Amino acid sequence: MSERLASELGPQEQPRVPPSASQASAPGRSAHWDGPTYYGRPQLKAAPFNNWVVGAYIFIGGLSGAAALLSAIADRARGHEAAPVVRRGRFLSMLAPTLGTSLLIYDLHTPQRFYNMLRLVKGTSPMSLGSWILVSFSAFSALGTLAAEAARWMPRFPWLRRTARATQLPAAVAGAGMTTYTAALLSATSTPLWAAAPQSMAVRFGSSSLAAGAAALALGNTGRMGRTLDKVALLALAAELAATCVSHNTYRRTGVAPALNGEWGKVEKLGATGLGTLLPMGLYAVSLARGRSPMLSTLAGLATLAGSATLRVSIMAAGDESANRPDVSFRFTQPRNLPKRRSRWFRR
Amino acid sequence: MAFPLLRVQLSGPVAMRTMEGVVTIVQEGRFQLTDDDGVSHLFLLSHRAAVEPDQLPPLQHHQARVRVHYTPARNLIGFVAHSVERSEMPAA
Amino acid sequence: MDMPARAAEEPQSRLDRMIPNESELTAGVRIEPGKSYGFFTDTTLCIGCKACEVACKEWNNLPADNIGLTGQSYDNTGALSANSWRHVNFIEKAGACGVRDNTQAPFQSGWLMMSDVCKHCHNAPCLEACPTGALFRTEFDTVVVQQDICNGCGYCVPACPFGVVDLSELDGKAHKCTLCYDRLKGGLEPACAKACPTDSIQFGELEDLQERAEKRVAQLHELGAANAYLYGAPGSPGATGDLGHLNAFFLLTDRPETYNLPPAPTRAANRVAPSLGTGLAAMAGLALAAFAILSGRD
Repeated sequence: MSERLASELGPQEQPRVPPSASQASAPGRSAHWDGPTYYGRPQLKAAPFNNWVVGAYIFIGGLSGAAALLSAIADRARGHEAAPVVRRGRFLSMLAPTLGTSLLIYDLHTPQRFYNMLRLVKGTSPMSLGSWILVSFSAFSALGTLAAEAARWMPRFPWLRRTARATQLPAAVAGAGMTTYTAALLSATSTPLWAAAPQSMAVRFGSSSLAAGAAALALGNTGRMGRTLDKVALLALAAELAATCVSHNTYRRTGVAPALNGEWGKVEKLGATGLGTLLPMGLYAVSLARGRSPMLSTLAGLATLAGSATLRVSIMAAGDESANRPDVSFRFTQPRNLPKRRSRWFRR
Repeated sequence: MAFPLLRVQLSGPVAMRTMEGVVTIVQEGRFQLTDDDGVSHLFLLSHRAAVEPDQLPPLQHHQARVRVHYTPARNLIGFVAHSVERSEMPAA
Repeated sequence: MDMPARAAEEPQSRLDRMIPNESELTAGVRIEPGKSYGFFTDTTLCIGCKACEVACKEWNNLPADNIGLTGQSYDNTGALSANSWRHVNFIEKAGACGVRDNTQAPFQSGWLMMSDVCKHCHNAPCLEACPTGALFRTEFDTVVVQQDICNGCGYCVPACPFGVVDLSELDGKAHKCTLCYDRLKGGLEPACAKACPTDSIQFGELEDLQERAEKRVAQLHELGAANAYLYGAPGSPGATGDLGHLNAFFLLTDRPETYNLPPAPTRAANRVAPSLGTGLAAMAGLALAAFAILSGRD
């Protein structure tokens, strides 16, 4: 002990001391909770994820999945005309297996044991289900991309093209899973902001991914493909806006809205909803009304992509804040917030 | 809101120290080492250590003498062990 | 030497003086695999000595952390963490003039003390969230983290509705109370229950504990402590939201929030199906609409 400097000992942050020792109930910071807290200390523990790293993964995974989904749809709908879009979709879908997986492994605190994620399949754990969704999506995407690219260099082997085509549907289905399972992952925790609105958050994440996928596929594309992809993006953004309204309503009703009053709540409102949903919706509408202006469409696409990424990071950070605030977590775990009916899917 | 993609040790590099002694208690990934002066110290296995938790119980069972490379930890009366190797008793 | 077979699995158990089935002597219960064990913590008996915190740290070889004083009554530990698996809460209740009332009704009316621990929930959210299977249910109906499987993903941490399990930044794995799994295997009761001088922490078979607890609540009500109630017993606060019941349950004399406990926690896994179902349905709908848009004549 004598070799330890005084500066090494003690926590880096001193706990907040209440006004007097007999004031154990440091009242909550918001007017909606006037009950006791335990010296203002958090009642829950916030997720130890690095919000930038995991938020980036959710964005990239959703983008990849949506790109695979949309390029499969475009291929069925348009055939040969959609070939450049399909090709770009395949490359985008490779982002999840490469960059996405690296980000996830980096965030593990014992990364050398990353393969333990594949020891079992657990239906109650979206992280377990998601690991398998990621593995199957990666396998089909990689196989499809390799086969498609090989088919370009070696057109004499038609089975390459057939293989590439065969992987499209499974990759699209797994891709749909990629866009939305991360919302279930956040909801299946006790963090108030994430647990309050599981269904609308799933729609929000999924539609945001689809809009980002459509935007990424449409960037730089002109003509009919660009126009129709812009329409798809606009539709997805509208769905996202509707889900956002439902989410915020639910947050107010369940009492977790104060978690969005801080810095990250502002980022979510201005960045994710404002610049990321409303602005591109307006830009797409104007662009399409003018018969698709490439500049406006490109701006809208970039705003959509930025907004989709901002949504994930801000929701994660605001969620952490809701877990760290006892006034929010106590208000959320009041008996009146209990689900009215036991979920049908669990009978134990 | 620092951008933390690079895990940089903001407090500066921490010097690795060495201690030799006998492994006396083992629990999960933690062990107690009693040095040659008879003083006991508590170590936690770092997540980067090459040693796995299940390699510790045999060391304790044999009351093995080991050399540990470690760094101190903040707000903790204990050390973080980065490597554990068997060592020989120094000649008397 | 008549050593229980399961204790022989632990090489550290080869001591020459060991009392077989020591828990029969110290806790009046014989520990057998296949039965449900837990804690009944009667906070009206707690004297705030923190022997439970110390015994837990000693047995589990946990480093002392939270160095320094918090000024929050006698609670310098603060909260359960990766290195603190027992934590005693202290709440000094203010009287009418803002200072602790010196004339108090008995059974912890003015100065509340409660030894917090992992609840070992019947439908444990941490176990249901763990993607590696590191968290598992033991043969004693307790929840334990296997240290050689955990890869530090940290998903169990936000899943816990009581904020118990924690990820250690230093060793990169999740930690929490094991209900002294290694002691149970050797026929010993958990360290904290053994050390508790007032038997505030009682260890035993869950059904026996629940019976005992109900009798104690009735007794307290007769003696005039009308605000005594159980937290975590079936049907009580804390055992809500499909968590079932808590193997480590409490007798409290004030609202749960005062002790930093949630009044109505929920089972997180019940949100998986609605979330995934709605999300996938929405994606299916959007996919169909996208197909219609992409194939339409322009």
